[in-house]
Amino acid sequence: MKKTSLSLAIVGALLAFGSQLAQAAPDWNKIPKRELQVFHAGVTPIEWITKKSDHSGRTGLVKGESCVGCHEEKGGLNFDMKRLAAKELEPVGAPKTMNFPVAVQAAYDKDNAYIRLTFKAPTGGANNADKDNEVKVAVMFANDKVAAAAGDKSVPGDQVGCWATCHIDVRTMPGADDKKTKYTKDGAYELMQWKSSKGAKAVDGSVSDKRNMDGGNAGVKAEGTKAGEIYTVTFTRKLAGALAEGKAVPFGVAVHADHATGRFHHVSMGYKLGFGAEGDIKAVKQ
Amino acid sequence: MKKLLNTLRHPSAKYSLLTLLAVGFFSGIFFWGGFNTAMEATNSLEFCTSCHEMRDNVYQEYKQTIHYTNRTGVRAVCSDCHVPRDWGHKMMRKIQASQEIYGKIMGTIDTPEKFEAKRLELAEHEWARMKASDSRECRNCHSFEGMNTEKQKLRGAKMHKIAQDDKKTCIDCHKGIAHKKPKGMKEDDDE
Repeated sequence: MKKTSLSLAIVGALLAFGSQLAQAAPDWNKIPKRELQVFHAGVTPIEWITKKSDHSGRTGLVKGESCVGCHEEKGGLNFDMKRLAAKELEPVGAPKTMNFPVAVQAAYDKDNAYIRLTFKAPTGGANNADKDNEVKVAVMFANDKVAAAAGDKSVPGDQVGCWATCHIDVRTMPGADDKKTKYTKDGAYELMQWKSSKGAKAVDGSVSDKRNMDGGNAGVKAEGTKAGEIYTVTFTRKLAGALAEGKAVPFGVAVHADHATGRFHHVSMGYKLGFGAEGDIKAVKQ
Repeated sequence: MKKLLNTLRHPSAKYSLLTLLAVGFFSGIFFWGGFNTAMEATNSLEFCTSCHEMRDNVYQEYKQTIHYTNRTGVRAVCSDCHVPRDWGHKMMRKIQASQEIYGKIMGTIDTPEKFEAKRLELAEHEWARMKASDSRECRNCHSFEGMNTEKQKLRGAKMHKIAQDDKKTCIDCHKGIAHKKPKGMKEDDDE
């Protein structure tokens, strides 16, 4: 009898816990979507971005302007895509689709942040070196110390998105060491990634003096589905570390489509995700 | 010859002052017109591209740009950007440009390789000239007053606002607008 009561109590507790979890997961139909464009950036690392003779926008950058502030326009990007795809900035070969939209939804509760990305991954990439994964999706969050050097000036990380990790000497850049991963000079990013191969573990990592594909404390979980041509990837992670209520956190999205590796991804510029704070995207409180 | 010089040195007893003035006036018009026509001919696109040094290098690059072909069909040819319009500055530029004849004879840039090796130096000369004149030749057609930044792309509109606030001149940002940028450019120290 005692045993039965105990079992019932345990089952009851589990059910209650389960229902709590179910309540915590957001109803995605009620979370607004913000579309942002991801694009093939070619060989435009932070050294290129902050060099005036390459990128005259450096002048705006050191005056406090962000990438998005100048380049996101009417829901699209105002880059000269032909220039980005040309040999000078893309010596290997540009993908057929230079940019595409990713719908971002975000929610949070006292413990977790939930981020859902929905997109149609293009084919026709110039680099198909990742045989295991057709698609990989990453989100990086910058901490407050991230900065990029522009000559003798320092540009805060919230202006440059993930570019503070993207350098001319990292792997897959022309002539670079194949083993050198992305890195920061100041501050760090928290990195989470979903991979499409069966059974692949969600990456809970970071980027500081090098990229670490594990060792993160964010408890990242990632689920991805493909319906027709549409991918839906949902991340769940702790509302901790760089993420906190009352804070707008700089973040960027990267999609490796068509088995791409390294720099052959489509990336977003840097946006801010507000958790109970103003941001380009406001996470909905649960 | 000596006789001709003697005649030129002494007052004329044969021709009236009016005749001399009239002949001088009309000859002046004729020679001035001829001189100006010849000088203007050196401002034409055809003249500039009659040498292979220009035709094979900078001209091919310029043909890919908005100053050569655009929606409205307004074309800026070489001289519109590289030769001042007003007479004084134009003459100075033409005299200066005459040293290019020496370069032509010596074959200073007569191969693509030699041109590439000289590209930065040549570009720097032109940038310095444009900077010193507050981009005078750009401003023959463009002005901040005439600009409607609302019709520009956001990135252009924002940069033009900064440029006006900081009293920048066109060439500060628009290097390489009609030709390839040279490798090894020095970075401006202007923020």
